[in-house]
Amino acid sequence: MMRQKTTFQLLMQTGAWVVLAFLLLPMLVVLPVSLTPNEYISLPSDGFSLKHYQNYFTDPEWLSATWTSIVIALSVAVIATVLGTAFSVGCWLLSDFWSTVARWVLIVPILVPPVVQALGFYRFWVKLGLIDSMTGVILAHTLLALPYVSIAVFAALANLDRRIVQAARSLGASVWRTVIAVIVPAARPGMIAGAVFAFIVSFDEIVGVLFITVRSVQTLPKMIWQGINESIDPTIAAVATVLTVVTILIMVAVTWRWKARP
Amino acid sequence: MTTAGRLEPVLSVRGAKKHYGEVRALDGVDLDIGEGEFLTLLGPSGSGKTTLLMAIAGFTSLDAGAFRLRGEDITDLPPDRRSFGMVFQGYALFPNMTVAGNISFPLKLRKWSKAEIDARVRECLELVQMESYADRMPNQLSGGQQQRVALARALSFKPSILLLDEPLSALDKKLRADLQWELKDLHRQLAVTFIYVTHDQDEALSMSDRIVILDHGQIQQIGLPDQLYNQPDTRFVADFLGKSNFLEAKVCERLGGALDCESGGERFNVTGESSSYNGADRVLLALRPERIRIGAQGTERFHGVVRQTSYLGERCHLILDHPGFGGVLVSAPTWRMTVRPEVGGEVSFGWDDDACVVLAEDQ
Repeated sequence: MMRQKTTFQLLMQTGAWVVLAFLLLPMLVVLPVSLTPNEYISLPSDGFSLKHYQNYFTDPEWLSATWTSIVIALSVAVIATVLGTAFSVGCWLLSDFWSTVARWVLIVPILVPPVVQALGFYRFWVKLGLIDSMTGVILAHTLLALPYVSIAVFAALANLDRRIVQAARSLGASVWRTVIAVIVPAARPGMIAGAVFAFIVSFDEIVGVLFITVRSVQTLPKMIWQGINESIDPTIAAVATVLTVVTILIMVAVTWRWKARP
Repeated sequence: MTTAGRLEPVLSVRGAKKHYGEVRALDGVDLDIGEGEFLTLLGPSGSGKTTLLMAIAGFTSLDAGAFRLRGEDITDLPPDRRSFGMVFQGYALFPNMTVAGNISFPLKLRKWSKAEIDARVRECLELVQMESYADRMPNQLSGGQQQRVALARALSFKPSILLLDEPLSALDKKLRADLQWELKDLHRQLAVTFIYVTHDQDEALSMSDRIVILDHGQIQQIGLPDQLYNQPDTRFVADFLGKSNFLEAKVCERLGGALDCESGGERFNVTGESSSYNGADRVLLALRPERIRIGAQGTERFHGVVRQTSYLGERCHLILDHPGFGGVLVSAPTWRMTVRPEVGGEVSFGWDDDACVVLAEDQ
């Protein structure tokens, strides 16, 4: 009797699976499409083929776009983590009215529609001569990634006892030394999470890139976008599959490492 | 030792003022702390004791006033240049360093050699009986052990003064008692000046050479523990340090060193430091509950009805109703009680002439 499920439970569970399927199926459909032997986007009808993967890994344009995206995302991860950590540590040390205001102001970009931001970048980058340059994209993405880093670092510092700073000072450490030896180590988990976030934010950002680049900077999302617009090349599905698999592998590795910790 | 300490102050506080808006956290504090003294700042929360300690440490800047360390002005010196050790209620160990790493932190900053550091870390761990814990992380230690490590860390660089901010408050009662003995012992061994902040009067009485009682940012009274307990200046001090009965009395007559007082329709003598009062003065008297004797009817001067009793093992607390005094709190040692007080029963009670203390007006 106890085992029998109520109608409510049954409905809830079925509903949950349906929602999950709704979320995941569009992502999973790229997998069969990427294996189609046809030259256009379609489900494989007679046999499977890896030629679109081969195309992705040999085509200089696709490879160059991938490298561009990786280089930009790595630069953004480094710069945004350094700046965001400095900002958060500073606010945490001050923790007065104005530092709280500053924190909120820094988070605002998350709330602004990407198109509006992109327009803003476009207007300014024209004036600064940064249009269609790697520097311009890295700078724009850094601004977009900063809120995520600062939120992650703040979360890591939230549990740090403020007396620890006083303890370090009383033991003879200058403010600078206290930051390096005590606060930054405490912020490290937040910095790592922030760097990952920053990488992802930059890696799949497209709206800003469409506005501020022309020809010389070609990122992977932009190339996929153009690929869908201009042709119906199934290589896009192969690229999407590769990205999904890499992401899952990273997730598994990170989860496994967290679990392995004492 | 205390009087010798007073001749040569290691730290002088002069006219210390700190206001937070309308709140006067420190309102003109003058204090000399003797070399090697164990001085306790005692007061209720909001009394300014923590503000004073934080200002001495250099974390709170004064609105007015000055600190001098052995004659040298340190008022504007940042905390890291003052070289005072500090121990906090929440231990404040560095979570990313081992016990040995925590203790060697101030020594590395001072650029001691590796051999010197290793020797000193071992010495400090021995001092707090934590020799076998050098490689543990702070989160693997109990509260008492963490506080021992914090103590070792604060003492490792041989500071001239050790500041302790309610270091035992987070520990359970038994551990607190053990650590009180250890702290006292450490103080005696090291001859370092201790400035100790607490709101716990028992801690203050049991450990200190001198106690400073603060309230509303002002020093209410400074003195030896027994002096403060037996001769409180004001109602606040008498009430804060231990328990007290208060009697409003009229001086009827001066009889040499004693005052003939009248209160609640009863006449009794008060001896002690009451020289400035004369006939017809109104005075406030403090009477410690343990100075009141109780006995069977007719054995003492006054009579009262038992309103409430509370048995505490070694002592028994009674509240007696007396028509003139109102409720009188009595704390009697159980082994010496000659009567078994029943609620509603009558007992007689009385006290010696030197039991009452004449208080000054509260500031």
